[in-house]
Amino acid sequence: MKTRKRIFDSSVYAVLIILSAVFLSPVFVILMNSVKSNFYISDEPFSFPRGEKFVGFENFVKGFVQSDFLRAFINSAFITVLSVAGIVVLTAMAAWYIVRVKNRFTKILYYLFTFSMIVPFQMVMYTMTFLAFELDLNSVLGIVFIYLGFGSGLSVFMFSGFIKSIPTEIEEAAVIDGCDPIRTFFMIVFPILKPTAITVAILNAMWVWNDYLLPYLVLGSGENRTLPVAVQMALTGGYGNKDMGALMAMLVLAILPIIIFYLFCQKYIIRGVVAGAVKG
Amino acid sequence: MKKRILSILLALTVVTGVLAACNRTKPAPDGNSGTTVTEIRYLNFKPEIAEVYKRISEAYEKETGVRLIVETAASGTYESTLTARMATDEAPTIFQINGPIGYASWADYCADLSGTELYKHLTDKSLAITSGGRVYGIPYVVEGYGIIYNKAILSKYFSLPNRATPYNSVDEINSFAALKAVVEDMTARKSELGIDGVFASTSLKTGEDWRWQTHLMNIPVTLEFLDKKIDLTGDGYKNIEFTYSDNFKNIFDLYINNSTADKTKLGTIDVTASMAEFALGKCAMVQNGNWGASQILGVSGNKVAADDIGFLPIYMGTKGEENLGICIGTENFICINSKATDAQQKAAADFLWWLFGSETGKKYVSDELGYIAPFDTFSENETPDDPLAREVMRWMNMEGITNIPWNFTVFPSQNYKDSLGTALLRYAQGQMGWDEVKKHAVNEWKNEFGA
Amino acid sequence: MHKTLKKYFPVFVVPVLAAFLVSFLIPFVMGIYLSFTEFRTVDASEWVGIKNYISIFTQDKTFLNSLWLTVKFTVVSILSINIIAFSIALLLTRKLRGTDFFRTVFFMPNLIGGIVLGHIWSLIINGILGFFGVDITYDPSYGFWGLVVLMNWQMIGYMMIIYIAGLQNIPEHINEAAAIDGASPLRTLFSITIPMVMPSVTICTFLTLTNSFKLFDQNLALNGKSAETSLLALDIYKTFYDHTGLRLAEWHGIGQAKAVIFFLLVAVIAFVQLRATERKEIEQ
Repeated sequence: MKTRKRIFDSSVYAVLIILSAVFLSPVFVILMNSVKSNFYISDEPFSFPRGEKFVGFENFVKGFVQSDFLRAFINSAFITVLSVAGIVVLTAMAAWYIVRVKNRFTKILYYLFTFSMIVPFQMVMYTMTFLAFELDLNSVLGIVFIYLGFGSGLSVFMFSGFIKSIPTEIEEAAVIDGCDPIRTFFMIVFPILKPTAITVAILNAMWVWNDYLLPYLVLGSGENRTLPVAVQMALTGGYGNKDMGALMAMLVLAILPIIIFYLFCQKYIIRGVVAGAVKG
Repeated sequence: MKKRILSILLALTVVTGVLAACNRTKPAPDGNSGTTVTEIRYLNFKPEIAEVYKRISEAYEKETGVRLIVETAASGTYESTLTARMATDEAPTIFQINGPIGYASWADYCADLSGTELYKHLTDKSLAITSGGRVYGIPYVVEGYGIIYNKAILSKYFSLPNRATPYNSVDEINSFAALKAVVEDMTARKSELGIDGVFASTSLKTGEDWRWQTHLMNIPVTLEFLDKKIDLTGDGYKNIEFTYSDNFKNIFDLYINNSTADKTKLGTIDVTASMAEFALGKCAMVQNGNWGASQILGVSGNKVAADDIGFLPIYMGTKGEENLGICIGTENFICINSKATDAQQKAAADFLWWLFGSETGKKYVSDELGYIAPFDTFSENETPDDPLAREVMRWMNMEGITNIPWNFTVFPSQNYKDSLGTALLRYAQGQMGWDEVKKHAVNEWKNEFGA
Repeated sequence: MHKTLKKYFPVFVVPVLAAFLVSFLIPFVMGIYLSFTEFRTVDASEWVGIKNYISIFTQDKTFLNSLWLTVKFTVVSILSINIIAFSIALLLTRKLRGTDFFRTVFFMPNLIGGIVLGHIWSLIINGILGFFGVDITYDPSYGFWGLVVLMNWQMIGYMMIIYIAGLQNIPEHINEAAAIDGASPLRTLFSITIPMVMPSVTICTFLTLTNSFKLFDQNLALNGKSAETSLLALDIYKTFYDHTGLRLAEWHGIGQAKAVIFFLLVAVIAFVQLRATERKEIEQ
């Protein structure tokens, strides 16, 4: 019985190791090609960067300089951090208000926010872009405001669900002690919301960082472009020169921050994503 | 506590953002030409020259104090970017249209340019886009495309003692029959010539197939229009029969059968890759235009000398083709937004005249943009010095030769070109018959125009 | 409490509400309206009634194709992703050492954005097909299956995590009881394990369903804009932005009408999901 279990376990390991290799290989292929010379990438993506094919970090230097990659990187980071911070704090406030002040208006608001979660982006793609330009929101700061609007559906929904489960006694005690609602929210309520806030932050961060169509339509492919837009522009179309080596380096640089972030905050990310899935 | 301050700050930022959006300042009202304009906007068509425009804008601001804001539309998205921007108060003051179709779309936004300095100095007034005696678009660059060849490799071929063709130099190739004979013989001897194929690979990746679905297609369409005496002002261009489809097939077959790449792998090849093959001496010919010079001479490891590049017309076996030249024309007509204030319109016209009329501007045009600009302000020695631009001018001035104009500006839409590109890819892969391609080209044309 | 808080409406709700109005609600209402018009730009529209909705099925030939393709893609994705993810989850709940490492690896692709993923897989798939002398465009089905592989690579880890959570919720003693009763492992799987994780199955099914149905970035990056491989979201995008020329206004109207239909389809899916989960909750 024991040996049978051992054989079974080792075959399970074998399967898992092979699967892991399959899962990791695409990232490995990109890493390998990022140190390969330009002409050997499309033609022989699976050959090792040996001899004349190896160019060291040349591609990374080119990728950074040529495509103004750093700029796109900074834009993406800036937009993601501000949007997520804004969404977490402001939608938590709105959700608290909506749950605690019960009237017909807040009820309608709640349903509107929930409803927005199911509407696909293509439905508002054209009109939203128009409005964004009309209101001068086509800037790095302006798009933060748009993300706040788009992210509010899921985030209000998730915060509301959690707030409903918190007893109101603590808040009422704070009010009796003379706290105004703003103080009450930030001193008492928001700390309680922390687990949901982390989930909301992670879900929104992944969405904003990776989003392509919205920033492409609103910010364009000029100096305000974000990382996914820069990658897409560099890899498709154009009469200009395309440097596959530099592009591979860009791909590596685009996924590196996410992987590092993931390795450090794995626990929160997995928990957050699952919580989001179960509730959404 | 820190967290709280941060959150309040954030809330404030967002609220001020809203307020700022509500309080946005409206542009100065029309007719208020007394105020000095400090900003004009230009929507650039070509991503590859975005860098140059950055420098032009800096130079212009330094000289005049007027800020030129250049936005560049990504490749293949000019019309949609323009559509998105036009309705906003960030509408470009200067934009461009691609010809009569573009004018039909944007007529409401095109200001009359007949009084501008730029128009007065246009060498060939017939090139401009006019309607009812007014001028709405001025061409600012003339370009040419054809078959770019590598003289060194061809001379090597012509010096082979055992070659199977009677020709002794490129100049003797003046018909499809001659071209085909030479190309096929070269393919047979490609190891002797040290090439992987005669033609660079036929890039048929989506977004990279414009050399075929637009440029090559221009020739049969133009010849058909000439036969039927269709001019672009009427409605005749809304239907084609593709009468020269067999000729298109001739040259397209020659390209794909004698290239460096397998016919089945063309769908992922981009233009850069095929230009690189030419630059590295892996092939002897590639169909492209004079804008490709930098992609040949600028590639690292380039093995082609500047003096070794020439243009050959795209022969496809039509009657009288020995008198036809390369395809020369423009799809770049500059327009000024009529919805901008008078002052802005004037500022835009001033900028254009500075760019094509002043010493500093002209230097950028011929040296950095590499434009063959059709204005009499440019003297002989102020033309770009890249070899392909010189070849275009050589063909323009060649006696007894008619160059083929650019009529692909009346092609119905991007969608038409894309779907034709897919059909050509399917044909190259052997999955679609030529009759089907022909039918597709004709029906989709009609369908897109809604005729 | 309510009364004091109520006065704070401008502080608590207005910022989010303003953003919500601008980026969602107003564009949504405008979108519905514009689907009954032809428009060059939003402020230049002409009422045409339901003409656009008719044109989708008469004039435009791409919509039904991409709808069918999307349905096929969604079904294949749901089956493959869930079966593989569930199997991996079974392996990883066997209390072996190193489980955490494998979990980390399998989940990782989920964090990479669609555009980047698409280009990574484009290189790999074309590299593999290159050995056979063809590329991904050679046959639309290559593009289709390529997208399925990509989607599996991205989503399996995610679904696996949800299944693991579901499996860990099964009380230990039930499995033990089954083992004592002499139930075969296969029997245990079908009679005990799967029924016990049904809530996870529902969640995962709907997650893969909506994600596949609305897929855009991966489709654009891997397959380009070819009509033969465009799913619904990409088809709508192309209708809006690639039919430039004389009939721009018409195509904008058709594009917006397609978007409304797309929205209705997604809404129906969401509604069914809601009912399904509600029923599950009542049963439990």
